[in-house]
Amino acid sequence: MIKHETTIRNESGFHIRPAQLFTETAARYASNISVTVNGTSTTVDGKSILGLMTLGLSKGAEITITSDGADEAEAIRALIELAESGFGEN
Amino acid sequence: MNIKELLHEQSILIPLAAASKNEVMEKLVDALVASGAVHDREAYLGALHNREATGSTGIGFRVAIPHGKSSGVTKPALAFAKLAEPIDWDSLDGQPVTGVFMIAVPEAAAGNEHLQILIAISRKLIDDEFRERLLAVEDAATLNDLLGAI
Repeated sequence: MIKHETTIRNESGFHIRPAQLFTETAARYASNISVTVNGTSTTVDGKSILGLMTLGLSKGAEITITSDGADEAEAIRALIELAESGFGEN
Repeated sequence: MNIKELLHEQSILIPLAAASKNEVMEKLVDALVASGAVHDREAYLGALHNREATGSTGIGFRVAIPHGKSSGVTKPALAFAKLAEPIDWDSLDGQPVTGVFMIAVPEAAAGNEHLQILIAISRKLIDDEFRERLLAVEDAATLNDLLGAI
């Protein structure tokens, strides 16, 4: 199991489109993916679009992505890259 | 965020008979115009279409959440339609859509109002039983009860 922290960078926050991109990317890997809001006990399934949308993360929110499984390293690399790119937004 | 306060009686269309995704969007926009939440129909419709062009708002589970931020919107509002017949929305899970929540936010809205509305809707939709009841809803009163219940 590996964990990695990141920050939401896009202006409009973690709305439908970023949640879609995140779940689409997570679904490409067999590993279990979860997202935790730093400083809270709120954790959701990283492959659930509704789960991610309920977090309603705005710009600057800090999260921890956890990946657990055979392809955990590749999965977390792809998800961190996606988050750090601002989900293709700015 | 109270969803019910954003959802005007005139913006609840149950059932809505429509032949296409575009027709559903136009009817919902008309309902938002009728309720006084939107003053520039074409501007808001343009914002909705621009958003759909970047990726479908069909989130799966037979629900779509088209949304747009536009100077044509007077005040934040929500509209809901339960479609008479399921319609293809290019959803993530490939399933046609039966329930549609439309979010309207003014261009000048402070920061993350759309996000707050989205959170409120998602927190309800994540509940299996809520979704099941939502997609079976037959009148506005039942919808209001449902939105207030959870």
